Amino acid sequence: MTRRQLLFAAAAPNPPLGFSYTDVTGKAGLRFRHHSGAFGEKYLPETMGPGCAFLDYDQDGWPDILLLNGNDWPGHAQVGRPTMALYRNNRNGTFADVTRAAGLDFEMYALGVAVGDFDNDGYPDLYITGLGQNRLLRNNRRGGFVDVTKPSGLGNRQSFSTSALWFDYNRDGLLDLFVCNYVRWTPATDVRCSLDGKSKSYCTPEAYRGSTCWLFRNRGDGTFEDVTATSGIFDSTSKALGAAILDDDEDGWPDLLVANDTTPNRLYRNRSNGTFEEIGLRAGVAFSEDGKARAGMGVAVGAFDGSGRPGLAITNFDNEMTALYRRSAGGRYEDVAAATGVAAITRNTLGFGCEFLDADLDGRLDLLIVNGHIDDTVRNVRREASYAQPPHLLWNDGKGKFRDVAPQLGAPFYLPRVGRGLAVADFDRDGDLDLLLTTNGGVPVLLRQDLRNGHRSIRLRLQGKKSNRDGIGAVVKLLDGGETQWRMVHSGSSYLSQSELAVTFGVGRRDRVARVVIQWPSGRVDDHKNLATGRQYLCVEESAIQPDPLS
Amino acid sequence: MENPQFRSPTPGLLAGLAVALLAVVLYAAFTVQQIHRVRELQTGLVDRNRRDSLQLLRIQDNLHSLGLVIRDLLDQSEPYPLSAWEPQFARIRADLNDALRTVRKPAQAEYLERSAEQFWAAVDQTFREPDEARARRQFRDSIESRRASLASMVARLLVRNNESGQQAGTQIAAIYSRVERNVYIFLGAMLVLLLASGLWLIDANRRLFAGISHLSAQRSELARRLIGAQEDTLRHVSRELHDEFGQVLTAIGVMLQRLTRRGVTPDDGLVEAQEITQNALQSVRTLSQTLQPVLLQEQGLLPAIAWYLPTVQRQTGLTIHYEPPEPFEVDPRRAIHVFRILQEALNNVVRHAKVDEAFVRLLARTDSFMLEIEDRGRGMAVAKSPGMGLTAMRERASLIDGKIEISPGERGGTLVKLQAPR
Repeated sequence: MTRRQLLFAAAAPNPPLGFSYTDVTGKAGLRFRHHSGAFGEKYLPETMGPGCAFLDYDQDGWPDILLLNGNDWPGHAQVGRPTMALYRNNRNGTFADVTRAAGLDFEMYALGVAVGDFDNDGYPDLYITGLGQNRLLRNNRRGGFVDVTKPSGLGNRQSFSTSALWFDYNRDGLLDLFVCNYVRWTPATDVRCSLDGKSKSYCTPEAYRGSTCWLFRNRGDGTFEDVTATSGIFDSTSKALGAAILDDDEDGWPDLLVANDTTPNRLYRNRSNGTFEEIGLRAGVAFSEDGKARAGMGVAVGAFDGSGRPGLAITNFDNEMTALYRRSAGGRYEDVAAATGVAAITRNTLGFGCEFLDADLDGRLDLLIVNGHIDDTVRNVRREASYAQPPHLLWNDGKGKFRDVAPQLGAPFYLPRVGRGLAVADFDRDGDLDLLLTTNGGVPVLLRQDLRNGHRSIRLRLQGKKSNRDGIGAVVKLLDGGETQWRMVHSGSSYLSQSELAVTFGVGRRDRVARVVIQWPSGRVDDHKNLATGRQYLCVEESAIQPDPLS
Repeated sequence: MENPQFRSPTPGLLAGLAVALLAVVLYAAFTVQQIHRVRELQTGLVDRNRRDSLQLLRIQDNLHSLGLVIRDLLDQSEPYPLSAWEPQFARIRADLNDALRTVRKPAQAEYLERSAEQFWAAVDQTFREPDEARARRQFRDSIESRRASLASMVARLLVRNNESGQQAGTQIAAIYSRVERNVYIFLGAMLVLLLASGLWLIDANRRLFAGISHLSAQRSELARRLIGAQEDTLRHVSRELHDEFGQVLTAIGVMLQRLTRRGVTPDDGLVEAQEITQNALQSVRTLSQTLQPVLLQEQGLLPAIAWYLPTVQRQTGLTIHYEPPEPFEVDPRRAIHVFRILQEALNNVVRHAKVDEAFVRLLARTDSFMLEIEDRGRGMAVAKSPGMGLTAMRERASLIDGKIEISPGERGGTLVKLQAPR
């Protein structure tokens, strides 16, 4: 913050936000610490992770937490035996470490996770990405996971995978899998880069060759078919870090947005015949407004401008600014970061995880971004840059502007961290959205939100019948008093992370809302009318809406 | 004939203005033309060149991307069939064709376009090749070298573009220096023109003023002579009146008295004749005095004024407030003009002021004196149309090296103030 901004902030006190975040990491019993394996050689994967997820692995209605971990480099073993960690929600604000019981106490250099019920058995399964072999872990419905990588046909693949997501691209009711791959890197091909000309630093991906993303079609028999090539996804030049689903052309077929690091972002439009057409350049999301391929990291999709049409956010390197795209009528995306104030706020920060969420439940989507530089020597080169950076909470004023309310929230929210992953869920089931942040080489942060402004939410958990059971790809619209709120049940988004699948609408102080319309991936449309707010509903495809029995 | 000294500068000035305007118009036309040329060069050449260069860079970038794709394709590290690479080629092709469409079309660019078409035809054919190994060989042996030659062609075009950009830059620089030189020439010419017209104006003014002062001297001389002639005439008429008519009337009077003494009964007619004669004699004497006061010649200014003012009061009914000063001498040659000024001033009061009072003050100083005639009447409209009387007053004042001021009085009316050496 410049002195001028500081003076301005002091001169014009902002109205109270009506909510706060409390760091409950320790109280909740999260004892996890990320281990990147760094031993001074500055191998690129070290600075990329980790991701995290909110998931209800035991289907008790209380979001549990998965935290991913790196590993030691061969020949550089350090203390302990780092593994990912699964924390079961004890329903009282605390969590229990169930990693071992769940069978997740194996070592791998993990980075990201996608949570989805690929076998439609009602229990979420996991796809863990990372360096080397990614893992598909099927939920055994008894509190454990079974590694089905090999039998599913996803084995025998070495990669540097980052974000991944589940979605039903061919709308056959089965979740398919999309995986982002970053660059071709091995310790053997590591390149020496230096920010200050003296010490080695983490390279930007220009130093390495790209690597195609993968698309795996779910055959429905527990196996997957690699359709990367036949679907048109194949792109040997991409250096993908973030991915999100959206329905760009509103034809009911899910499209894909892929954020590439230093290569053009890709927007894959679903041709509805099992193939995709890449239209990133035409749609205006490939490059920045000045024609530069930016360092895309995390992505988020959300209807932030009240138009009912989703826009996009892509976090980038510092000095590149987060991109905030609004979709124009002609189908082109326009970067409105500058006009909305997002550019100025994010100019000096390096963003990773990001999500649209209605932080104050006022009916407007805000944008949360976690930041952190990739290299701890950055301060030596640029004095204004720092390794640890505070997050941004870009509060939507409803008039086309965003204001960073993070400084106003103060600690523990507004603290510099080397942020990476971000996931959102209502873990304490009080109707507002709590946050899970991961830090590179550090501890995760669980931030419980407490609302004091009297605003309410209405939460929906979807259960597909003809559609995939998670309802991923379903568009949920809340219509009330002439306004339309838009959500899409999604896996992926953010960075290496996954939020809960339930959708949360902020409704202010309203007791009831007029309509909730669900467009299922199957094509089915369910229209639910006159719903009381302040509660969570279970929406089963083709059935009447009902209060969530798990809530 | 017009005096060359007083020739009006207007035609000269108009001519100068016309020359200056013409110079400005010519210069503006020249500048506009040069600006047009610069703009033409910039938009037509430099900007187009820059746009072309950007498009060529875009093509080069595409060709570079193609190179990377071909490299990836050839290293066979991906488990996918050759057809997997087609969308990447298609994507690059779309962008490359788009760039080619935008780039200008000299012969070389057309050649580039043809080469690109041939390249894509070869790529299409290779992708149709059923034998994948053979297709990969074609990529390695033929497609890659075609790509490389396209890339070097683009590089050459870029260099050429750069060179023509530099040439345009040189041309623009030349135009700028021409314009700069012409600015200096124009400024210099305008400076000379301004200087010449300034000097000429100064000279014309000088001559004008010399002419005016000459005229003024002539006019003063004329006035002096006129006044002199007038005084001579008045003196002559006065003397004639006094000497001739005075003596005749005196003789008539004596004769009429003699008749009475001889015992002629003085009847009414005789008495009336005696009275008329007496009155006429009195009038002649007064008129003679007024025209050329003998008092003035014999006793000086102050007694003449002391005699004159009651006469005016009597003749006009005007009350004149006057306190005679301590006696002092005034040069007799000056005195007559002072007297005439007094006469004229009082005449004006009687004629124009519409009042029945006037104030006359006479003050002596060491070497000079001051005469003031003031009324509190309607005030003067002197400035508007100075009549002969006022002009004569000024001339007389100047004849005696005096200074006359005619101004509004402090309490309305008019104040005539004469200061002159004694």
